[in-house]
Amino acid sequence: MKKNTRRSAIVVCAAASALGLAVGPSSAVPSTVWTVTPSPAAFKATNVGNIVLTATIPMTCTVSGAEGTMNSATGNPGDVADITTMTFGSSASPCTSVLGNVTTTSVVPWDVIAVDYNASTGVTKGHIGNVKAQVTAGACKFTVVGKASATYTNSTGVLAVSSVVGDLSVSSSPAPVNCGSVVTTATKPTFKGNYAVKVKSTNAIPTIVGSNP
Amino acid sequence: MKAQRAVAHRPPRVRARTTSIAAFVVLAALIPTTASSAPGTRETDVELPYVCTLPSGPLAATARITAEFPERAAAGEAFAPSGVTTSVQLPAEAVADLAARGAGEVRAATRLEVAVAQGTAGAKATWRGGAEPVALPESGPLTLVSKGDVPSVVGRGDGDLTFTAGALSIDLALDAANPPAADPAATATAAHADAAGPGSGSLTVDCTLAEDAPGQGLLATVPVGEGGSPGPSGSPSPSRGTGESGESGESGAPDPEARGDREDGRSDGSPEVLETAPGAAPDRDDVPPCRYDEQTPPTDVSLNAYVTGYANVNKMDGAAYLPPSCLLIEQGLPVDGPPDPEHIIFDTVSWANFHYQGRKQTPPFPSTFLSFDFAPVKATMVLEQTGPIRIDSRIKLRLSDFTTVTDTYVRAPLVAHVTELEVNGTPLDVGPDCRTETSLTSVDPDPAHHPGDHLVLYGRGEQLIGQEATGYLLLSGGTLSGETSIPAFTGCGTADGEDLDRLLTASVSGPGNHIKQVQGQTCAIAAPVFPTPETPGQCTEDLQPYEIPVAER
Repeated sequence: MKKNTRRSAIVVCAAASALGLAVGPSSAVPSTVWTVTPSPAAFKATNVGNIVLTATIPMTCTVSGAEGTMNSATGNPGDVADITTMTFGSSASPCTSVLGNVTTTSVVPWDVIAVDYNASTGVTKGHIGNVKAQVTAGACKFTVVGKASATYTNSTGVLAVSSVVGDLSVSSSPAPVNCGSVVTTATKPTFKGNYAVKVKSTNAIPTIVGSNP
Repeated sequence: MKAQRAVAHRPPRVRARTTSIAAFVVLAALIPTTASSAPGTRETDVELPYVCTLPSGPLAATARITAEFPERAAAGEAFAPSGVTTSVQLPAEAVADLAARGAGEVRAATRLEVAVAQGTAGAKATWRGGAEPVALPESGPLTLVSKGDVPSVVGRGDGDLTFTAGALSIDLALDAANPPAADPAATATAAHADAAGPGSGSLTVDCTLAEDAPGQGLLATVPVGEGGSPGPSGSPSPSRGTGESGESGESGAPDPEARGDREDGRSDGSPEVLETAPGAAPDRDDVPPCRYDEQTPPTDVSLNAYVTGYANVNKMDGAAYLPPSCLLIEQGLPVDGPPDPEHIIFDTVSWANFHYQGRKQTPPFPSTFLSFDFAPVKATMVLEQTGPIRIDSRIKLRLSDFTTVTDTYVRAPLVAHVTELEVNGTPLDVGPDCRTETSLTSVDPDPAHHPGDHLVLYGRGEQLIGQEATGYLLLSGGTLSGETSIPAFTGCGTADGEDLDRLLTASVSGPGNHIKQVQGQTCAIAAPVFPTPETPGQCTEDLQPYEIPVAER
């Protein structure tokens, strides 16, 4: 349908303008050893700037955070961290949209998956995996599932989440309820925003280094 | 606010006295505590020195308080000072403080603690006022003039009733005029600041009465009962709106012994609560319940919310206060809107009903005032639906920059029904059917699709990409405003057959009355959100709206 095409175009456009998205050529030799420092260690991440979730219409969260554990790993892709707590909004600052306040409940664990490492920049590309979140706005409820493309930069400790169209989808089971034509199973959600990652015990910035010995 | 204009609309003296009282009672129901300049009052005009704590430190300031009090009141008689105006003059140093925070304009709200004492008994009231925005002067002092209604007071026995000013708090909303040079370090601990960003934010300035204040802050003395000597018993009490009935006053109270009776303020001698003072969120115990029940079962799209606010009555130059009222809402499903080359549009039609004791109406809202001869009068009105309330929301997503806007029109067919009157504690019958002939009416922006008489309120919500949503949204609430014509009254008559319709119509009915209502966050019954560290509460445990909104002028 014509309108659906237009909506997809919007999402693509929004994705292309996202911060931190760095889709470049892969390294010549894929990394199979992922060295996380420190490892294992508990980490925490807090948003830097606002987080924008889009399901046809944008939703903004001024507060978001994650906690979990990180570990060195082998293989490609490599599972370098588990996110065991993922929050959007706070009691003082709920996530908002033009529908009204939005409540997002994450179903954890989520994963941090490393795929590509650029030794010259210290940037790891990959995605947040196993994403599942229940979103409600009034009587409208839907569940977002999938992954969200992301990069991690060792020098800054910033995890830049910038999903592209197709990363995430709206679950058909359970299917969206009471959302009308704003959110359907054809909706292509996006998740964008930056998080500052710290080692929970020391506040140090952790690093991820990929190699192929 | 003045009532003289209403006087001009009063009928010739040939009308019976009960007619005059009854008519004025109804008018007063619309404008609590605004009677002024009537015979038998006297004006208080007191200038008091204060010490106000600003980010840079304590500064001397003055507060001029004007109000009208009755010259005398009877024991047990309710009255409220009227025309209360608080003019605060902050020195140039304070202006510099505010300018340093990037403010170019300020909007002030004042809270004046007033000790009310009679003999050894005391109570405390809060006089709240709001001021229009004013620009910061380039030099010299800043004068903030706030006005507001204040709680009613009842003296329980004979004796002088004294009103004494105490602590003054000034809530300042700061707006930038020019690019600011905000200094976060300017946020001193003494002043509570909440900077929302450069050039904006809020600041509460606490002021204490200076030790050398004339009369220790005494504003007025109102003799109660036959004599003027102090009575032996009974505690005067302001309305429950202060939430502090029964407490003795601040240090400014004329009688230091007053504290001895503070625990007795709610004893059997306590007066009837007369009204809720506007400006503060009422306690949950003071608002009617708002829940679905067996007679009104919820669906999976059911929401509930409180709404409260003011409606001006131009002819009276005053405003009626609608206390928090329950709305039960059936949230509509968004559907694709009309094609638009620049936007994606979704339209949603939701429906709502007021819900009070199983009826589609607001709660009765009583108001108390003084008639010209100072008989305390209590009048009660309700707004009754003549049909369902329709809520049309249109979401427009602009393709060029993803800005989203939601325009919402609330169309409510509501008649105003005067239900009860009491004069000096004696019920006065205006009949069971004293109401406006038709619904309150507004100019509908789309009359072809929305015929018939109804009130129209409008609200807009907006969100720029990556920023928070602002404004009115059906689910999260906000401010709705509109303008209404009040139709003629009908069915209003006393038991002895006296017709009050023409009198009410001449005094109240007319066009151009501004309405401002604040809706709170909705509770979605099928997907309730309870308060947690991650989520602001939307529902109480028993699925009532968590938020009780505060009316705004």
